[in-house]
Amino acid sequence: METTLTTAQAKPVQTSLKNTPMIKLTDIEKVYQTDTIETVALNRVNLTINKGEFVSIMGPSGCGKSTLLSLMGLLDEPTHGVIEIDGRALTSYSDKELAKVRNHKIGFIFQSFHLINDLSVLDNVELPLLYRAGLSGKERRQRAVTALEKVGLSARTKHFPSQLSGGQRQRVAIARALAGGPEIILADEPTGNLDSVMGEEIMDLLLGLHREQGTTIVMVTHDESMAHKTERLIRFFDGSQVS
Amino acid sequence: MLRHLFRLIWNRKRTNVLLIGEVLLSFIVLFGVGVILVTVGRNYLLPQGFRHDQVWRLNIAAGQGEKMPRPVLDDVLRQVRALPGVQELTLTSPNTPFRFISMNGEYGANNIYLDGVDRYDADDHYLATMGLQLREGRWFRSSDDASTRRPTVISQNMREKVFGANAPVLGKILRPKPHPGREDDKEEYQVVGVVESARMHSEFSDYSPSMWMRLEPHDTTQWEGAAVLVRVAPGQGPELQQKIVRTVAGVTRKWSTEVYTLEADRIDKMKVTVAPLAALSVVGLFLIVNVALGLFGVLWYNISQRRAEIGLRRAMGATGAGIGWQFLGEMLVLTTMGVTLGLLIAVQFPLLGAFDVAAQAYLLSMLLASVIIFVLAAVCAWQPSRLAARIHPAVALREE
Repeated sequence: METTLTTAQAKPVQTSLKNTPMIKLTDIEKVYQTDTIETVALNRVNLTINKGEFVSIMGPSGCGKSTLLSLMGLLDEPTHGVIEIDGRALTSYSDKELAKVRNHKIGFIFQSFHLINDLSVLDNVELPLLYRAGLSGKERRQRAVTALEKVGLSARTKHFPSQLSGGQRQRVAIARALAGGPEIILADEPTGNLDSVMGEEIMDLLLGLHREQGTTIVMVTHDESMAHKTERLIRFFDGSQVS
Repeated sequence: MLRHLFRLIWNRKRTNVLLIGEVLLSFIVLFGVGVILVTVGRNYLLPQGFRHDQVWRLNIAAGQGEKMPRPVLDDVLRQVRALPGVQELTLTSPNTPFRFISMNGEYGANNIYLDGVDRYDADDHYLATMGLQLREGRWFRSSDDASTRRPTVISQNMREKVFGANAPVLGKILRPKPHPGREDDKEEYQVVGVVESARMHSEFSDYSPSMWMRLEPHDTTQWEGAAVLVRVAPGQGPELQQKIVRTVAGVTRKWSTEVYTLEADRIDKMKVTVAPLAALSVVGLFLIVNVALGLFGVLWYNISQRRAEIGLRRAMGATGAGIGWQFLGEMLVLTTMGVTLGLLIAVQFPLLGAFDVAAQAYLLSMLLASVIIFVLAAVCAWQPSRLAARIHPAVALREE
């Protein structure tokens, strides 16, 4: 195994930043409405995640965890309330501005990896950098290689996702999330599709990232043991924060 | 981004090869139809080379078992010419302009023989009747009766092909291409004049090399019919036609006459020429619609299959509009590949000089086919691309 980051409990390195909000949700409500049914996915959620914090979110299926992550990742808009990222309220941002914030500040990791099967590992990792202006092809490549080195897959740059194991695919997805140098990583059940050994491996990788780079990480998980490795555990039930 | 698109398309070559093939096939068919339409359109815009307006065609038939003695025929022509409203008339062969009759052969000189040279018999009044434009030399005249070789006037394009554009041509001898054992190989025709090239077959045909051979006074006893072209004054109509018929009948009741206008012949020929062109255009249009539906369907399917990728790209920082442009860009890159292959095939035709079609017609058809395919691809990709742009990223990411 080529993993360069070691297993460790999350221990914040930048304690001075700990009280600075990175993500602040104020009075967030998300309602999905069809012609006949109105579903409240999130009900008056107030939540602050500080810079450099590693937070896990748990709750039963349908309690609004993924919706919350989509809102934090600016992939969806709340029905009501204000989202602030790094001190800036994003209520009146255009699609272009939101895309820019996503590209520069946020890295995503998904349960089903969401790799593009027709692109090589290197091309997949380069993907967020394609949407960043002012980067040359050489710079993009260099950053992608560096990200792959961090997750121990620098020898697999020319492989395709179908040629990798589940754990390796998730590490490629993590490298992709890291390539843009984001301040926030949003991970939606990153170990959900992996066996316990690979799940541990991925969790160690995230913990190492957090410890060494001070990245703010928000992780949705169903796995109690994984959640307990993070600094803070938030529980959701029926669209509301319960702890 | 373009490089990324190329890489993506290359890696999806198995999926994309059908689409590229469809574009290629459409290009080839459009190119083929384009060459025909461009050639026909170009021909239509060329000068006709003669004036068919106010010209009538008389079909004089001697009747079953009857012959046409020359003195009687001359009397008929003289009396018709004398009618008020008749400006000029000429005795000629049955292959009058716009008719479905052609007479041609292989003629030339100095070992340069042209295939498919249209030959017309014409008397001394043909030039004035038909409004041909004389470029060099003269038309036939009565002093040619003493000529030892049959006088001929040739078209400018025949002159250029056989003698070149600048070499002297008057007095030169033209012969049929020798075929051992054939009697008519010994005929000789002396060039007395050159006229502007004329398109006698139809408004849509190209200039073909032509020779007008003098219809010399000779015994017409073996003739059973005669073709006469009559130029009439503007405004003449059925009344004069009746007079002509009556005049011929007045000379000899055994002969019958039918009068047609060259305008009617032109319209008949145009209908026959335009019908296959219209059919071809309909086939081309049908193909375009099919290709459009195919491209539209493939792209629609493509987008529905790639919703997760769309969501992912949005999460990575792509805007909705950016996604739309990406799909449009992919389709245009695929179209470029298909069109490039098509152009490589199409360019062989002008390079090899195939089918005796002007190189400009090939080049213009390549341009037209390329433009049509690109516009088609862009139009077909536009709506699916807009659809892709509107896909909600959070929903798309959750769907997989």
